[in-house]
Amino acid sequence: MKIYSKIILAIAFIVVASGCKKTRLNEDVSGVLTADLLFQTKAGFENALNGLYAEVRRYRSGNTIGDPINNIMNIQAVIGVDNAYGNWRDPQTDVFNLWGTLNLPGFSQYTRVFAWLYETINAANTIVDRSAKGGIDWTDADKNRIVAEARCIRAWCYRHLVYLWGDVPLTLTESRGDNIKTDWQRTPKAEVRKAMEDDWIFAAQYLPDVATSDARLIKGIPQHFLAELYLATGDYAKAKVEATKVTTNPAYKIVTARYGVNKAFPGTPFTDMFLDGNSKRSQGNTEALWVIQNELLVVGGEGNTIMRRYWQNRYYSLAVGGKNPISVSAENGGRGIGRLSPTRFALNLYAANDDRGSSFAFRLFYLINNANGIPSGTNPRTNAPYKLGDTIFLNTTSNETLSQANWPSVRKWDYAQPAPLDIVDREYNDQVFLRLAETYLVLAEANFRLGDLQGAADAINVLRIRAKATPATAAQITIDYILDERSRELFSEEDRRYALLRTGKWLERTRLYNKTASTKIVDRDTLFPIPQDVIDANRTKPMTQNPGY
Amino acid sequence: MPNCNPSKKTLKAILCWLFLLPLYVFAQPTAITGKVTDLEGNPVQSVSVTVKGTTAGTTTNAEGIFKLSYTKKTGDILVFSYIGFTTREIVPGTGNTLNVRLERNEQLANDVVVVGYGTQRRKDVTGSVVSLDKKRLENMPNSNFMQALQGAVPGVSISTNGGGAEGNSVSIQIRGQKSINGNKDVLIILDGIPYNGSISDINPTDIATVDVLKDASALAIYGAKSANGVILITTKKGSGGKAVISYDGYYGTQKYAHLPPVLMGDDFYNFKVTREPNSVTFSEKALYNAKTYTNWLDLATRTGQSAQHTIGVRGGSSNVKYFASLSYLDTKGIALNDRFKRMSSRVNIEINLTNWLTYGTNTQLSYNNRDGVAPTFSGDYGVYTFNPLTTPYDSAGKLTIYPWPEDTFFENPLAATLAANRDNTYKIFTTNYLQVKFPFVKGLSYRLNTGIEYQGRDIATYYGRNTRTGLLAGGRLTQSNSVTKNYTIENILQFDRSFGKHSVGFTGLYSYQEDAATSNSLTAVSFPNDILTFYGANVALLVTPSASLQKQTTISQMARINYNYDSRYLLTVTGRNDGNSAFAQEHKWAFFPSVAFGWNISNEKFFDNVKAINNLKLRVSYGSNGNILTPYQTLARLSTRTYIDGTITAAGYVPTSFSNPFLKWETTTTTNIGLDFSALKNRISGTVDYYDQTTHDLLLDRSVSSVQGITSITQNIGKTGNKGFELGLTTVNFQTKNFTWTTNANLTINRNRIIDLYGDGTNDTANQWFLGKPIDVRFGYAYDGVWQLKDDTAHTPQGVVRPGYAKVKDINGDGIINGFDRTIIGNIQPDFTWGLGNTFKYQNLSLYVFAYGVQGRHEVNTQLSDNNVNSGVRYTTLVKNWWTPTNPTNDFYANVLNANPKGAGIVESSSFVRIRDISLTYEFKGRVLDKTGLSRLNVYVQTRNPFTITKWSGLDPEFSSQTTVPLQREFLVGLNVSL
Repeated sequence: MKIYSKIILAIAFIVVASGCKKTRLNEDVSGVLTADLLFQTKAGFENALNGLYAEVRRYRSGNTIGDPINNIMNIQAVIGVDNAYGNWRDPQTDVFNLWGTLNLPGFSQYTRVFAWLYETINAANTIVDRSAKGGIDWTDADKNRIVAEARCIRAWCYRHLVYLWGDVPLTLTESRGDNIKTDWQRTPKAEVRKAMEDDWIFAAQYLPDVATSDARLIKGIPQHFLAELYLATGDYAKAKVEATKVTTNPAYKIVTARYGVNKAFPGTPFTDMFLDGNSKRSQGNTEALWVIQNELLVVGGEGNTIMRRYWQNRYYSLAVGGKNPISVSAENGGRGIGRLSPTRFALNLYAANDDRGSSFAFRLFYLINNANGIPSGTNPRTNAPYKLGDTIFLNTTSNETLSQANWPSVRKWDYAQPAPLDIVDREYNDQVFLRLAETYLVLAEANFRLGDLQGAADAINVLRIRAKATPATAAQITIDYILDERSRELFSEEDRRYALLRTGKWLERTRLYNKTASTKIVDRDTLFPIPQDVIDANRTKPMTQNPGY
Repeated sequence: MPNCNPSKKTLKAILCWLFLLPLYVFAQPTAITGKVTDLEGNPVQSVSVTVKGTTAGTTTNAEGIFKLSYTKKTGDILVFSYIGFTTREIVPGTGNTLNVRLERNEQLANDVVVVGYGTQRRKDVTGSVVSLDKKRLENMPNSNFMQALQGAVPGVSISTNGGGAEGNSVSIQIRGQKSINGNKDVLIILDGIPYNGSISDINPTDIATVDVLKDASALAIYGAKSANGVILITTKKGSGGKAVISYDGYYGTQKYAHLPPVLMGDDFYNFKVTREPNSVTFSEKALYNAKTYTNWLDLATRTGQSAQHTIGVRGGSSNVKYFASLSYLDTKGIALNDRFKRMSSRVNIEINLTNWLTYGTNTQLSYNNRDGVAPTFSGDYGVYTFNPLTTPYDSAGKLTIYPWPEDTFFENPLAATLAANRDNTYKIFTTNYLQVKFPFVKGLSYRLNTGIEYQGRDIATYYGRNTRTGLLAGGRLTQSNSVTKNYTIENILQFDRSFGKHSVGFTGLYSYQEDAATSNSLTAVSFPNDILTFYGANVALLVTPSASLQKQTTISQMARINYNYDSRYLLTVTGRNDGNSAFAQEHKWAFFPSVAFGWNISNEKFFDNVKAINNLKLRVSYGSNGNILTPYQTLARLSTRTYIDGTITAAGYVPTSFSNPFLKWETTTTTNIGLDFSALKNRISGTVDYYDQTTHDLLLDRSVSSVQGITSITQNIGKTGNKGFELGLTTVNFQTKNFTWTTNANLTINRNRIIDLYGDGTNDTANQWFLGKPIDVRFGYAYDGVWQLKDDTAHTPQGVVRPGYAKVKDINGDGIINGFDRTIIGNIQPDFTWGLGNTFKYQNLSLYVFAYGVQGRHEVNTQLSDNNVNSGVRYTTLVKNWWTPTNPTNDFYANVLNANPKGAGIVESSSFVRIRDISLTYEFKGRVLDKTGLSRLNVYVQTRNPFTITKWSGLDPEFSSQTTVPLQREFLVGLNVSL
């Protein structure tokens, strides 16, 4: 009997030992990062800010994390406008070339841009909400600066939403799992803009003139966007005040002289700031307000921005005499796929002496560099057989067409690693994201609206003189002239659609100057359709769609 | 029908009993001893020896010896019965010894079923439990048991998702899909212990039985994780006799069964020129002029080979039973470089340490080798869609880095075959138990069951500069080491006892289970050279390591009571209480009860005169089962969004998931009514089941408005229902001395629908969930033919279109096509599925044919879209009947850009009939065996997947991916020898 009692004891022990601890069902979360764990320290808040910056960088990469080198996020703001169109077609560019039955609520681009902006807004809201709780190892100055950065980016997101969709739901608090809403309503545009104004005023108060790091936001950014916002709301005097704060800040200066990595070689002051190694303030770009950071072979540096990929034309597909005489190289700016190109109108805006339309700013010709692609026949320019090094000039005189390799592309995004990696699809240079020149153009617009044509001309001439273009006279200044000047200065940098919408000129100018879209666009297209998935998810209360969809 | 009055019968029996009772008192007590053996003379243990009509009885020991003490009288009949043997009734002679030989009976061998924490006689089972026909396991080229189960069992739907050497790309559903987003995997119990590993790691030749639990009663003992069904796998055990050494092996070749009609050569060129005239590049034009086309599918595939060799030993002595096996499988798949090798060994031992203590182990060691990367079949560089006007090899015979010189986006689809790749898995799965019989309480025993699963997988892949991937990255290495560590401890208390006609069983369980998986991985790019491959990461310029942990704990208590009155009335009551770490703090525990009744109608006295029906049992059960979720779903997790500051990494995070402090178990409640029957001297036998299931508090990954910044949340929502009917039938159609024809058939009908979502009677369009409709529907614009020349194409509900454009059905008839015209298209849920196995046996030769099919399913064929060819017609597509002005078809719209902007999907029937296996076996008997001294010698030839009948135009109607390795058609020869 003894042995049995021992066994029973052993069993009892096993049962008790395996069952007595209540904590055994607590999850082992050592591999999981939650918001509650992160937002305990100042360092955690800084990490969250880095997340926000990375989200902003996605504006120039693919619209999904999984496929970051296709379907650029910013396409809807930059083509289907007077100065740019979709050259090498894909389903995404088709929509902004052909509009009509392709411009649908179900278009994946709208779904993804919308979701990306609100993901970024929620990330910012989380920072703002959680900054209010105590016990964090920061000074008031730290806290205000961190909240200022978050709010500045939040307002930047709403800026996109309002321009693209008009009235949009306004949410300024962290989303929680216990409060899922199926009855979102669209907040009137004015109310959303009021929230943007509050955010930028706060940001302008607490951001420094110059940050210790090139990666960080500085005061000029919210001031610039405030000025732009006031243009949109018609508060032109306020717009002028805010723009002037930026243009008169001694920390920010237009680049007027050659500098940096390419100084010893031919070039222009205007194009120097787009070169790898030149774009950051610490590298001499005094004009920079916001520079998107990238770095080859560093974790977090490979942001997969695809500006070069999208704006660089397929010069390697250029056919001359039955051959492709130009091959991909770092000298030629790296490899692009030419999804986006300037319209003929954009190319023809420049006077001959304007640096911004020079061959340093646009690819107007290439030199034959493909030994296996020497065209047969005689080169009409040399009256001799084609040979390596011959110049092939590109067409700029006929209208833009689809799948056109014989068409210039902008050089602002040129970048390539040295051979043999010059064929790599991605780019790893830092990129100018917002610069003082745009603030001058905002100032010009404000002055124009206030009736100060000379003031407008003066603001514009800061840029024209730097570009060696003939200065404008007050008599020349019209809203169209300002928009033309924006294109000359900011081609492919600005959110062109927004400037046109703000000035009420989108439909008119796109019809006039964009040969692909001109007959396709209608009034309806001034606002995009609310994405179908957002409409569908609003189960309990219908969300109104924009008219015409 | 006076004979059918049970009460009279019972009364008579009781009267007889009272009359006979005095006789017993005066009779002399006797003892009969003897030995029970099989026909080969091996002792048979555990044979039940009873005196018919009395309660006297005993069982044989390990040597087959029995000693039966009872009060002898003339006319007594002794009944010898044991599972797997034909029961014999013998009138004892005058002596006191009796040796009996029992004949094995394969059909009856099926009569024991594994029910979870024990076995039961088929007759005593109250739940819905089906066993796999052993023919599906033996002499079949199965690389895993799922392939054996496919189409063979009613209520179990297994579909092959894609081809490949390993054959593990399958998905399984038992009684339809219940959960929308919760765990959909069935629970696999291997030798009594939950098994989480890959199906590839269980060697099918080691498997003795596969039983599937389907209704709430059968499943309830596995409570929490059982709602999707449970598969119980039991490996072969020792026989306790002299050692039998066996060899089983086969060798076969394989070739793809079917390829879809892809545009090749000239046809592709014409398609491209028609669609985008200026898109032809110089290199394409040159290849077209030279008529040099590349058939990438041909280049990526080959004639595969497969071979398996298994050596097994089984035997033992009175106190030890052992089974051991060693197996090697090597399959070279039909895709280049696709090779799967498995070496596995198994040792199953059971030792009676004393007459009250038994120890046993079932231990499996396996090594899988999956070295080598197959060509790219799907995605951007997939062979089905790769431009045929490209060049696979350069002049030196090496694979081109850029097969299309003008479009360097494209990697050679075969480039992956140049990658250095190592992929090894080592695994231990061991279950060990200790069983204690308590002599002081008869029928009481305790079992300590432990299971340990340890798996390590090491994968390393290096792309060198001879591939586009490697060239662009300067060499690219990805490496991962993952370890799975699961363990289970179960304490089981069992009590089984008969009191006259009453027999009672009790099973009590307390178990603890912990599943943990860790993974360490590494990506490295920019290597100085391609020499060191896996070993050069230390000098790579960018090395990104990452690590992960997943851990889940389950604690369970279970009690089951079986009550059996006179083998006529059966009752099973089960309750299980489960706690799981993945749920919210207040909702970790849940209770899952069930009750089941069985009535063996054929054991009733009134049934004695129904000669045509040998066996009839009614089963009714009701109960609930649970479903779990993966860990950490209750937490608001952050995703990495890393930024950079200068040249320094700036760690960044953003919120991408919601917290949900209310997450609890998903529960399925099932009512099951079943009938087991056999008739006409057991020539027809089968089961019929009807079930009605409701699943509530579904664990849903629900899409929510992106305005919240996070687009999905895991929640308990709604209710779904599955109703179904299942039929399993085994018949002996024809039986003579030399020839028999037997059939094994099954039919499954399941109807699935969403009953409730949010309690407000509305649909959820965002998630494509519609009340009253099945869970997985395809929702979108419906294709309605083609706009024709005669149509007014300037004024259509779609706006201005052109003749040849796809017509979208105006569902609400409002004359405008918008979001309200989306509808459910196709029918993914089949009307019914079936399986049919026929065996024809003539003397020593037998022919086995197995077929299965799916009927009444219609799906959108995503390959039937021209948008896939991309801008510039960079991909090829399936051959279609395109609309042209001279071919005004409605089959397919014109070959022009944007002819179908709404993406209206074209529906095709994906029903099919597949002849899965045909095998011809010759079994040597008599002289050949005597001369060679072998106990078994079989040779067979077999073919797998010889035919499929379908209207589906894609790769395969069964595959979920239509751009994967094709289904293989196999031919093989095999041999079974036993010594």
